Amino acid sequence: METSFALTGKGYVIIAADTTAARSIVKMKVDEDKIKELGTHLLMAYSGEPGDTVQFAEYVERNIRLYQIRNLYPLRPPAAASWIRRSLAQSLRSRNPYSVNLLLGGYDQAENKPNLYWIDYLGSVVEVPFAAHGYGSYFALSLLDRYHDPEAPLEEGLATLKRCLDEVAKRLVVSPSKYMVKVVDKDGVREVEI
Amino acid sequence: MEYNGGSVIAMVGKDCVAIASDLRFGNQALGIASNFQRIFPVTDRTYVGLAGLGTDVTTLRERFRYRVNMYTIKEERDIEPQTFAHLVSSTLYEHRFGPYFVEPVIAGLENTSSGSKPFIAAADLIGCLNFAKDFVVAGTASSKLYGLAEGLWEPDLGPEDLFETISQTLLNGVDRDAFSGWGAVVHVITKDRVVTRTLKGRMD
Amino acid sequence: MECGVRCPRRRRVRPFCTQTAMYRGPGFDFSNSLRNDFLQHKGVALPKATSTGTTIVGCIFKDGIILGADTRATEGEIVADKNCEKIHYIAESIRCCGAGTAADTEFVTAAISSNIELHALSTGRKPRVVAAMTMLKQYLFQYQGHVGAALVLGGVDSTGAHLFTVHPHGSTDKLPYVTMGSGSLAAMAVFENGWKPNMEVGRQPLSPALPSWYSNDNVRPAVQREEALKLVCDAVAAGIFNDLGSGSNIDACVITATHTEMLRNFVKPNERVAKELKYGFRHGTTAIKSEHIRSLVVSEEITPIRGEAMDVS
Repeated sequence: METSFALTGKGYVIIAADTTAARSIVKMKVDEDKIKELGTHLLMAYSGEPGDTVQFAEYVERNIRLYQIRNLYPLRPPAAASWIRRSLAQSLRSRNPYSVNLLLGGYDQAENKPNLYWIDYLGSVVEVPFAAHGYGSYFALSLLDRYHDPEAPLEEGLATLKRCLDEVAKRLVVSPSKYMVKVVDKDGVREVEI
Repeated sequence: MEYNGGSVIAMVGKDCVAIASDLRFGNQALGIASNFQRIFPVTDRTYVGLAGLGTDVTTLRERFRYRVNMYTIKEERDIEPQTFAHLVSSTLYEHRFGPYFVEPVIAGLENTSSGSKPFIAAADLIGCLNFAKDFVVAGTASSKLYGLAEGLWEPDLGPEDLFETISQTLLNGVDRDAFSGWGAVVHVITKDRVVTRTLKGRMD
Repeated sequence: MECGVRCPRRRRVRPFCTQTAMYRGPGFDFSNSLRNDFLQHKGVALPKATSTGTTIVGCIFKDGIILGADTRATEGEIVADKNCEKIHYIAESIRCCGAGTAADTEFVTAAISSNIELHALSTGRKPRVVAAMTMLKQYLFQYQGHVGAALVLGGVDSTGAHLFTVHPHGSTDKLPYVTMGSGSLAAMAVFENGWKPNMEVGRQPLSPALPSWYSNDNVRPAVQREEALKLVCDAVAAGIFNDLGSGSNIDACVITATHTEMLRNFVKPNERVAKELKYGFRHGTTAIKSEHIRSLVVSEEITPIRGEAMDVS
């Protein structure tokens, strides 16, 4: 089943998402990238209804890009979260709403600090130090509550993430086989191997 | 209400009011965050707390901010808490047949000719106002808070006494509610300052 | 002028950008309906609206109308407000008691009050009770009972004293004595027992066998209360004590051709006794994690930088 995690640390946000594209009980693909790079310093992991997810993520991506082209500066993470939330809240009031859950991680270059937002398909947003979506969240949130350190360097953050991934692999019946992990910090976004 | 959890309470004191809420944001039984602010400043001396569905808390807070800003520009003065309460009420009643899942609580100091007067009010999800003289409650722990506040509140509490009373009411109330808790925040509004304190609460 | 009866306005769901515009058209906004149906389907429970489970009554007496109401508002099994006001203002000599969904009674009476005032200004006459009754019934009929207001409307106008009940679907009755709300049965029983035509002012003193809560200081120290007023209070009291949805105090309103007297908390049969002990907490009981003080006092210090102060004498 779809699972995504994210945590902040000293000057960075790590986002991890599984890479399976499933349809019914069949795995169609195991190298799907579900973390969109919305800008130089903004990442968004998406999960939910197949179809809606990619459609919505691309819609967000294009609009965030449009903002940057028009204004010559990008939306900062809090503003992006606010815009995305509003889009979802609006969509929820339409005849067929997007059923997409998101984790939005970014590095705010104005304040030099990492931001992480937990967003669900209802349009709820909370700024959090760590977050998860999907069945994995039931395992991961308790681990992150115990081991998360907002001042931890990247290696420690990745180690904490590894704990979560291992626990999910160990205990969750429908655990994903592979994850994509991306980091955003002052230098921008990049993929890391775990 | 129970989807994201959360509770709000407001109390009247002597020349002061207090408004407090818990900080839990849950996804049904799963706790997501322990830093969810559901109380927002409207003006210097007026605060609004929104208990209910997280998405509507944010939507309404944006909408109220917009409408209050427009009011301030038009009238060239701050909105009075009572006026704001009616703004909340009519906004909610407009959605009578498709309501926001929110129970607002308003606390502030009214400007009167003889200084300031404490004001509190609560509304149900379709905007029926309740102007209480003592305390108002809202959210998943409201049934517990009613009883506690009824027992603990007394008239003419000073800012510090009011802080203790509202804090103890809230903390003990949310301890008996599975959907509320995970820390709390209290704002005590007096004539010349607003004291905001985060409380140490049970994290279970 | 537009006629009162109108087809319910079809409203398109407005695009989001205009949703926060300052001016909003009349009528209800249904933009949340789709979402709420969806949430309901998912099992998100709709929070309970405040309702006034209520005993409201009204009766005609020789010189006019007396309305009566209890003061309890409920949210399911919870008493949400122990002293709410259920006798609403329509015009100076027309008042209206509301039962049912609290927000509906509040907003319906406010809207009709406002329209009655405009009507009075445009006609230059004192408003009539039938006019208010017609506006109310047409409004409520338009919403087919979805606006859940059950009302007792009473007042005195140029044609005399009138008393109506208006049901949520828009039907009305005109009777000499009426009751509504969940306590209506209890209250009606009292009326049936005690009402007689042309009850007069102050002819009969209060009966000596009064319930205990009538004695002592609860009743205002008026020398003699009207017979009809007592009957109204008895009817509301029957609701307060025998119906769960009604409680607390009795509000009454005496309307005559010359004068309207709103008797807020006329009888307080359920006053709370003073607490025997103080339940305050010692300062420092509550553990604090952080404190932030926002000072609202703007202080400025003026430092004269040059020469002496200006001579302002």
